[in-house]
Amino acid sequence: MMNYKIFIWMLIVPFVINGQNKISGNHSTQNLTCSTCHSCDIPTKENPCIKVCPRESMIRIDQPVTDAPKIFVINKIRETDIYSPVKFSHLAHAEMSGLAGGCRTCHHYNPPGNVIGCSDCHESSRKRTDISKPDLKGAYHQQCMNCHRAWSGSTDCTVCHELKGKEKSQTSVVSNNKKRIHPEIKTPDKISFAAKTKQGKLVTFYHNEHINLFSLECSDCHSNESCIKCHSTNKTASTKTISEKIKHKKCSSCHNTESNCSSCHSNSEAGGFNHKSVTGFDLSKFHSKLDCARCHTSKSGFKGLNNECKTCHGTWTLENFKHKSTGLVLDETHSELDCENCHKELSYSKPVCEDCHDDKSYPNNLPGKRAK
Amino acid sequence: MANQSRRNFLKTSALIGAGLTGVSSKPAKAAPNNILDENRMGVLVDTTVCIGCRKCEWACKTAHNLSAQSIESYNDRSVFKNMRRPDDKTLTVVNEYAAKGDDQFPVDVKVQCMHCDKPACVSACIVGAFSKEKNGSVIWNGDRCIGCRYCMVACPFQVPAFEYGKAIQPEVRKCDFCFDRTKDGKLPACVEICPMEVLTYGRREELIDLAHQKISLYPDRYVNNVYGEHEVGGTSWLYLAGRDFHELQFPKLGTNPAPGVSEAIQHGIFAYFVPPIALYALFGGVMWLNKNRKQDEHKEANHE
Repeated sequence: MMNYKIFIWMLIVPFVINGQNKISGNHSTQNLTCSTCHSCDIPTKENPCIKVCPRESMIRIDQPVTDAPKIFVINKIRETDIYSPVKFSHLAHAEMSGLAGGCRTCHHYNPPGNVIGCSDCHESSRKRTDISKPDLKGAYHQQCMNCHRAWSGSTDCTVCHELKGKEKSQTSVVSNNKKRIHPEIKTPDKISFAAKTKQGKLVTFYHNEHINLFSLECSDCHSNESCIKCHSTNKTASTKTISEKIKHKKCSSCHNTESNCSSCHSNSEAGGFNHKSVTGFDLSKFHSKLDCARCHTSKSGFKGLNNECKTCHGTWTLENFKHKSTGLVLDETHSELDCENCHKELSYSKPVCEDCHDDKSYPNNLPGKRAK
Repeated sequence: MANQSRRNFLKTSALIGAGLTGVSSKPAKAAPNNILDENRMGVLVDTTVCIGCRKCEWACKTAHNLSAQSIESYNDRSVFKNMRRPDDKTLTVVNEYAAKGDDQFPVDVKVQCMHCDKPACVSACIVGAFSKEKNGSVIWNGDRCIGCRYCMVACPFQVPAFEYGKAIQPEVRKCDFCFDRTKDGKLPACVEICPMEVLTYGRREELIDLAHQKISLYPDRYVNNVYGEHEVGGTSWLYLAGRDFHELQFPKLGTNPAPGVSEAIQHGIFAYFVPPIALYALFGGVMWLNKNRKQDEHKEANHE
């Protein structure tokens, strides 16, 4: 009898081990070992022994929120004798989560691939064998109350639930949810921060420039905001002292916060960003409508460029450059000349007439006509 | 207490006495079924999750046929102004402790019988009305209780409450870990209703592992201590908290079982039934001496 069993095992085990080596689908594209997710040596379907949330770096949602229903009815918990199921406005919450960690705030355990709903991991029955993670009811409430309690200060069940027998009609819930969409957030133009340092007490932060000029997304800076930053029930909580390190952290992804203090800190209110005064290159004439990224192509933040025209316009020649675009149409004699004959400086600003003409100078005498 | 007549009580006492003499070679133990089952159940209370909705209070009252107000009335948070204790009409209460320092939320702590592994009430009860059950519950049997309230004095958590308001058939009331529900395979009422699953019901051993796992996963969230793991010899209800337990009015208790001291003295005195025998021997000796002396006096009187 025993020998027979051993024989069966000898047949099965190679297949099992072979199966383990092939990680299928999305898993194969990941740099993973079994132990990243599983706590035991040979996970099985019955006992996958998946570790409790060890994979924060992997969590990712690839699906756009518009693919999901706008409103979910949460009715997977069987025991609903007191309250009726919550009609959860998924879209509204997804939009609100934009500043607070995004989808991952709730889908906190989503490996790349399909979106995992709460009930895929959390069991719907409270009486269960695996107590290492909350059951579905606990998971929902822990997730919801974390924010709800923070901004409203209330733990009243009827904020989300309706008492059984006192439900409103489905249509009123839908229209109610429409009203409950978060209003557009008004962004400030500039904010003045007071620093505690002796020199450079003032940091003038031009919020509008960071959005419009430097085209940052809200979530580039506001990635982990709590609702209570605006909806604080206890105002004293928001004036908590934050260490310098944390304050600098947000700016340090673009600005050098280690040494170049004076670029942000000054003793008086600083003006807005001026390309000419900061870099010496005037954008106002020809480059004012360009996106920053047209010239600053480096993806690792903004870097200074050589201010010669050739840095960007290396392909310009006598044939393909239309002098008209500078506001001056060259006359026949001058249009034959090489650029360098008149423009001695590499900035191609002021032409030099004296090399050929003793009695002429720019701008009193023009080598053509002003364009209209 | 009700069905226990004086005669019955004396009979049981006599039986216990007879029994004791019979097994006097083994020291007496606190509970009749005192061997702790390794699968005994418990509840892990994560106070960092609790929102103080007080649904457990409502469910407890409903499950124990105590008069409960409407479920909506339990949203009233003004009760948190005062610290409350479980009493004969409310077997469990939630207390709230204000947020401290950087904490965002106040701390809510559910209080009820801890269901000790070495229960002092069981030890102190002279009629065996309390018992520690196989599933971990410490329960009270009204048929045996004589209303002496020794259990109330003995309990290190001051949990058992007496129905002082009742003139006829007052009872000792405390959380019974929903013994009537769990024996039918149901969850304790508070565990079942808790929306946040603050209360995790499971095998005590598994809960202790889970508690330590949580502490090591989130060391910033929890203090490195599971209240009830070792306190008074271990309790079925275990607590996790984000700040020191004594700030949340958990009594500072040693790891020795509460009945340890009292039982050691009692069992020491009554070991092998020596003291009663010695006492009777002493009385017998005195009587015998007196008898001899009287006989001597008689003899002397007769001589004269």
